[in-house]
Amino acid sequence: MTVAIEVRGATKTFRQSTGVFGTDRMIRAVDGVSFAVEAGSCLGIVGESGCGKSTLARLILGLLPVSSGEILVEGQSLADMDRKSRARLIQPVFQDPFSSLNPRRRIRDIVAMPLQAQGIATRERASRVEEMLVRVGLPGAIADRLPAQLSGGQRQRVAIARALVLRPRIVVCDEPTSALDVSVQAQILNLLDELRRDLGLTYVFISHNLAVVEHISDRVAVMYLGRMVEQAGTDDLFAAPTHPYTKALLASVLTPEPGLGIPDVGLGDSYPDPANVPPGCRFHPRCPIAEARCAVETPQPRDLNGHQIECLLA
Amino acid sequence: MLDRPALLDVEGLRVRFSPKVEAIRGVSLRVERGQTHCVVGESGCGKSVSALAVMGLLARGAKRSAGHMRFDGQDILNLSERELQKLRGDRMAMIFQEPMTSLNPAYTVGSQMAEVLVRHRRVGKQQGLDRAAELLAKVGITAPGMRLAQYPHQLSGGLRQRVMIAMALMCDPELLIADEPTTALDVTVQAQILRLLRDLQQELGLAILLITHDLGVVARIAHKVSVMYAGEVVESASATDLFASPRHPYTRGLLACVPVPGTIKRGEPLGSIPGTVPRIADGFVGCGFRDRCAYAMPACAIGVPQRDDGAGHRHLCHLQ
Repeated sequence: MTVAIEVRGATKTFRQSTGVFGTDRMIRAVDGVSFAVEAGSCLGIVGESGCGKSTLARLILGLLPVSSGEILVEGQSLADMDRKSRARLIQPVFQDPFSSLNPRRRIRDIVAMPLQAQGIATRERASRVEEMLVRVGLPGAIADRLPAQLSGGQRQRVAIARALVLRPRIVVCDEPTSALDVSVQAQILNLLDELRRDLGLTYVFISHNLAVVEHISDRVAVMYLGRMVEQAGTDDLFAAPTHPYTKALLASVLTPEPGLGIPDVGLGDSYPDPANVPPGCRFHPRCPIAEARCAVETPQPRDLNGHQIECLLA
Repeated sequence: MLDRPALLDVEGLRVRFSPKVEAIRGVSLRVERGQTHCVVGESGCGKSVSALAVMGLLARGAKRSAGHMRFDGQDILNLSERELQKLRGDRMAMIFQEPMTSLNPAYTVGSQMAEVLVRHRRVGKQQGLDRAAELLAKVGITAPGMRLAQYPHQLSGGLRQRVMIAMALMCDPELLIADEPTTALDVTVQAQILRLLRDLQQELGLAILLITHDLGVVARIAHKVSVMYAGEVVESASATDLFASPRHPYTRGLLACVPVPGTIKRGEPLGSIPGTVPRIADGFVGCGFRDRCAYAMPACAIGVPQRDDGAGHRHLCHLQ
């Protein structure tokens, strides 16, 4: 297997100010995360808000430097790359196509921006933009419009065209369909899937929607308070979730089946606070099967039936 | 069949914001006591506007009309603003999607909760605070005394939504209108909030009008469902009926779009509905969905019949 992305012990800490007289708190948004993504595959990352999944996306994109650890993209360290070569290799698609597109620029110019930044000649820019807009299923007439004149789905197609116009090898999608209606979400997911197969792209796909992740990913990683608590192949993970947190997450998905009622997730009322990571296993205060030692011992990553998990009990 | 009128009975509701565009084109809804009626649809279909119209909370300049609109048998279409204010927050209450923007950031949880009771029931502040503490405990908030003294920004999203729900319950309403109450929350918290709403309904006999775009939520909590598209209710039925035998092509399309865990076949495209919602200007006739519908026929451009199977399953389509 060729590895497209390799993350080794990546950690990102932020300083949070607590006011003039308080001492600043350190928040480890991503705390020693390691994984690899096979070239041409899609890794889905799921977790609740505040688990560090978007910070991780920014680290992989090189938009934030790691505090410690290393990220290798196609064997090269991300830290050694300049912005231009990084942009040719990795591109992002963000959640909100309403705020990620400059409202004062025409669609044509928005999609051409990455080409312009690479110093590509005007004439080639025009033809590549046109080609890309067709590729993502937008009518040519849209090139002269402003983002405000487009629907949410069309805007997300523009964001995808902009991400792909440099022909990158890797695309990091951070909640790309969360702001869209279900019928449009399905259109965008189908488009992303088709583009990956046709262009041989590698995806990192971040979402809080488990069904969406199951649909598009080959492998899934579950994040909790900055750690990856379970990683496995998609079919394995959904068929036999192993970590108690993964089980709770899957149990909380409401499928459109009447009569099943509303599940009791069993996570209790406490909510994870990244500024206040519990000792031992960080999931223990919410864990339905926690024992006394879970509050003391920190679980190390281990392999269990092909799942990589961090749990003392599973 | 009905001895007692429905708690909320809306017939032929129309709302227009500009002279040329009608946002709501004849919506009828009935919410029975102690039941949950879900209104489901995509953005712009008019589901939130319908709820605001019922509450009399439309923006100034909006024009509202209806065949009738009754709450507990009483006409609420022609109430004065003062009479409406008496009703709102008292016998009918509303919660919104983003609790952060509907709570006042400058007041503590306790003082804004107490105010509801002080205004509607003319009680003292302390009595209001006592009631607030009691309700915070009821919605599953531990240490309610401490929470009363906190400001909204000190609470997590799930806690804020619980506070909103507790605040809506201050005057023991008969009807709770919830507009996307769990959309901004994590799935784990969503399940907790929905369980809470269901438990409160069973305990207090609350009727809930729940507005959502999430068919998963609908399936798990609704007794009755109305599917809205382009300002109309295109299908309404009991939840069991709707999911077992959806009749309108839009409802079927919507159901096909939702990836269901466990049944997913990777590599196969999801069902999707081509095109986008049309802009419905005045003089529009026929079916609003016909441009996106696989079964459209010439008759769809002329008119649409309302079909009724006699057992409460209605849909707006030429197809049976």
